[in-house]
Amino acid sequence: MRFRDVEIRKLSETMWEIPQESGMRVPGLIFASEAMMGDIVRDEAVRQVMNVAHLPGILKYSIGMPDIHWGYGFPIGGVAAMDAEEGVVSPGGVGYDINCGVRLLRSDLTVDALRPKLKELVAALHREVPSGVGSTGFVRLAAADEEKVLVDGARWAASRGYASAEDIERTESGGRLPGADPDAVSAVAKKRGRNQLGTLGSGNHFLEIDEVAEVFDEEAARAFGIFPGQAAVLVHSGSRGLGYQVCDDYLVTMADYMRRNAIDLPDRQLACAHIRSPEGQRYLSALAAAGNYAFANRQMLAHQTQETFLRFLGMGPRDLGMRLVYDCGHNNAKFEVHEIHGAKRKVLVHRKGATRCFPAGNREIPEAYRHVGQPVLIPGDMGTSSFVLAGSPAAMSLSFGSTCHGAGRRMSRTQAKASVRGKSIVQEMEKRGVLVASASQKTLAEEIPEAYKDVSEVVGVVHDAGIARRVARLRPVAVVKG
Amino acid sequence: MLEVRGADLPGLFSSCVLALFSLLTDRRTVRGAEFRTAEAAGGTAEEQLFFLLREALQIFTVHRFVARTARVTIHKERVTLTVAGEPLDFSRHDVRREIKAVTAHAIAVERSPGGCLARFVVDV
Repeated sequence: MRFRDVEIRKLSETMWEIPQESGMRVPGLIFASEAMMGDIVRDEAVRQVMNVAHLPGILKYSIGMPDIHWGYGFPIGGVAAMDAEEGVVSPGGVGYDINCGVRLLRSDLTVDALRPKLKELVAALHREVPSGVGSTGFVRLAAADEEKVLVDGARWAASRGYASAEDIERTESGGRLPGADPDAVSAVAKKRGRNQLGTLGSGNHFLEIDEVAEVFDEEAARAFGIFPGQAAVLVHSGSRGLGYQVCDDYLVTMADYMRRNAIDLPDRQLACAHIRSPEGQRYLSALAAAGNYAFANRQMLAHQTQETFLRFLGMGPRDLGMRLVYDCGHNNAKFEVHEIHGAKRKVLVHRKGATRCFPAGNREIPEAYRHVGQPVLIPGDMGTSSFVLAGSPAAMSLSFGSTCHGAGRRMSRTQAKASVRGKSIVQEMEKRGVLVASASQKTLAEEIPEAYKDVSEVVGVVHDAGIARRVARLRPVAVVKG
Repeated sequence: MLEVRGADLPGLFSSCVLALFSLLTDRRTVRGAEFRTAEAAGGTAEEQLFFLLREALQIFTVHRFVARTARVTIHKERVTLTVAGEPLDFSRHDVRREIKAVTAHAIAVERSPGGCLARFVVDV
């Protein structure tokens, strides 16, 4: 397989190595099938995997997941681990939407039981759960409260009665990233975030009612509380304007740092600073704060979703049985210990459009799931499937405990819009058995199923590579888009 | 990627700001009743444009203000922006999309005897 003049070596049916060329400190590694790789080499994402390999302190490989596609600086679906002492941190390696992620809520209801009321329920969710451009949350945050959100994340929501102890336990990192410092977040970022807590946003963010269509791993599904025919809810959102602004602010800070320290990289969106530098430390503090905002945001969205279900269906919490399965981010940078060339090392793992996926036995996993592995939530497009996976041991040796995060875009937003001109997406989706509510027809056009890669194929690659294993397939029945 | 043309650098930068606001809302629905100003600086035309557009985006995201017209003046490294518009009003302004940020990716300003051209990318 070739990318321009670079020969990419096939290591196995699911792994491809990009050789270490001039300036690259490590080789590249892409997880993909042969057919997917044929598409991937047509995109600039391969070049971006190579560019990331230039970053100081990068270890072992610059990695691309099967949902890889072009992003700003780093590819989306990219993973890079930096030595904690000598390496750098790069805001572009996390992305604008810091700690954007997914949470899965399970229920005791089946979709068949819900179906007669589904249309009205979707309308109620669209009304009650703030979504779309300019939406504001149902909680007004005073400046002091916002600072608490930045420090405590989902635990702030628990302190206000919007989350249970179980919610906190079942959120990655306990819903609170350590080291957050509100003073590292600019006044502009805070202002952008103040009215947005508990809002879905727009673009590819969504709230989706799914039916558990297939169970592949009975033991893990049982542990996660999942059964065939079940109604479940996926929520996809992030740190909203606050996170975007943190990234934007620190890209400028780091561009300046690079100039002062004569760090030369092939793309200015890879702007970075040494982890141990004051600039690097300050970004990490702001990153944790924005990540905590994202945890709190998804918790508030889940609370509002559950309240809407209860009110609309006239049920008690016990009958509804809605509980958090797991909440995981897919845009982050975290300190972890990984074995590299036979020795344990502390590294900063950048995951941009990639999900942490620790295997069974890892102490970071909630106790109830520790025997089966960390739940991993992979939303597909709004018309086909989403997946629940579990972390597998090979992830620790191959991908720094990481896997894919979604289907990955195949078409740009402009291409997607052009391809649907004149069609009603709502009607098209209804024909496929998916009800859709959205404030914006434009957003819907950008998010058509054809705009995305086949999520089953993406998941097939990570399953076959052994970095995550399939637990269940979800089929969307209703989608709320911003 | 947005591609914008202007007769000269201040005209080009004004058009870039208007292009940004046109992505956010239908400017024809905006009344030019109030003014907002912002300043930016940069050592190159690309830097000036990048920092100017960041400031322009903040007029919308932070100050919730939509622009109908824009005027830019340049004095050495310093760029001053004045926009005429009004506070965002959802009952009259259709907000078209959320813009996360103006990026530095592939940002370019080209000058020729026939005029100026800028290219920039926003993250949506």
